[in-house]
Amino acid sequence: FSSSGYRISSDGKPEKFQPPPKPVIIDKRKQIEERRFLSPEFIPPRGRKDPLKFFIERKDMIQRRKVFNIPEFYVGSILAVTTADPYAKDKAKRFVGICIQRGGKGLGATFVLRNVIEDQGVEIYYELYNPRIQAIEVLKLEKRLDDNLMYLRDALPEYSTFDVNMKPVSHLDHEEIPVNKLQVRMKPKPWSKRWERPQYNIKGIKFELPEAKMKEAQKWSKPWLEFDMLREYDTSKIEEKIWREVNEELKK
Amino acid sequence: MMPIWTKSGERHAVTLLKVQDCHVLKYISKEESGGKTSKLLVGGKNVSPFSRSESAMEIFREAGVPRKQKITTFNVTDDAIIKPGTPLYAAHFRPGQFVDVTAKTIGKGFQGVMKRWGFKGQPATHGQTKTHRRPGAISTNKAAKVYRGKKMPGKMGNIYRTSYGLKVWRINTKHDIIYVNGSVPGHTNCLVKVKDSKLPTYKDHNKNPPFPTFFADGDEELPEDLFDEEIFQFTDPSVTYS
Repeated sequence: FSSSGYRISSDGKPEKFQPPPKPVIIDKRKQIEERRFLSPEFIPPRGRKDPLKFFIERKDMIQRRKVFNIPEFYVGSILAVTTADPYAKDKAKRFVGICIQRGGKGLGATFVLRNVIEDQGVEIYYELYNPRIQAIEVLKLEKRLDDNLMYLRDALPEYSTFDVNMKPVSHLDHEEIPVNKLQVRMKPKPWSKRWERPQYNIKGIKFELPEAKMKEAQKWSKPWLEFDMLREYDTSKIEEKIWREVNEELKK
Repeated sequence: MMPIWTKSGERHAVTLLKVQDCHVLKYISKEESGGKTSKLLVGGKNVSPFSRSESAMEIFREAGVPRKQKITTFNVTDDAIIKPGTPLYAAHFRPGQFVDVTAKTIGKGFQGVMKRWGFKGQPATHGQTKTHRRPGAISTNKAAKVYRGKKMPGKMGNIYRTSYGLKVWRINTKHDIIYVNGSVPGHTNCLVKVKDSKLPTYKDHNKNPPFPTFFADGDEELPEDLFDEEIFQFTDPSVTYS
């Protein structure tokens, strides 16, 4: 039903139906630049090794990634890993935990998942490229204030407990990764490591120690380290090259 | 060094060895060398000809090959003699073979008796005066001398040592790389000598090796990667147990 035929224009004839202008769809996802994420185990460490070795290792890593999807995740994200085990029921084991550390370079890259199951803290080291791993799902993708969450061992157990049957939290592709600025409360001292010392550079703990202890910990600070030029390792150009190489191979 | 996984899910560590510009330099017959078998001189990495003496250059000039950093001898039987000047490739070895690897160990300099020979030293406390890492007694009273070869402090490392019976897991023919099980003596990027294993358990292990060696201009077209049967190749799906 359109009433345009009844409209009488200024010259007395019925106006021709003008369709409304077509809506222009602006896809905000494509507008925002594609986020570049290169898994840290691709970046070769400084050393005397031949770059050919890293190239060949990268070929193997890309080959594995084509067959098996290794998702993007950071230290502080919650993952669920299913491994093949000949002695388990259904021959598969599933473990859910928060990633506290990512280590190793190349094919031997590892990550540690921590969870508290029935009041017992459990940490499991997994190798990213181990063929026994059947699936890695990211239940919650987020970053924390630190690169290494080993202090969760000395924190109150509520900060390391995660529900084993947690539902995956959806994360849109174009959004920035959320940084969880949680400050964790610790158990009373002694801790496994003196986390208040500046060498660990931890920002994610709410220190409830007296001021005197915090000042004493600053005695071990090494303020010259950030100016040490021999320790500088600028990986931006290497990362870009490797990212391009990896993406090209994965698209094939 | 790299990890490698088998089809049953076990993980092994593997060393990568690159075959870089290896050529056969000279053939020395049994009578000339005075040994039991004839020898073949093989040279390794290419190096500039200018900073070395003239006398050694003669061998390279006759073989028609650029100057090499290292020359080694291999004892060969008469039916395995190769013409000097032929290049040697990684495809000379096949996955599943067993191999001995010789190299100069990492030099540690002048070292004390605890690090060099593993002596226990002395306790740190309980009245020890200035004696914590010393060898202690070096001989008995009756001997009245110190025996030859007594373990004492001295220069440690930088000597040739061999690791025996290493399995070859994989060969990359395009880049000439041999993947050898376990660790190998020497620092990163050092020169290494790879031979067929002399251990009696692996004497009859080689079935159809490329004999006398793998010739690149021959008829055989090898794929880029040669794998052992037990290796998990990354093109396969994940390992499952049934």
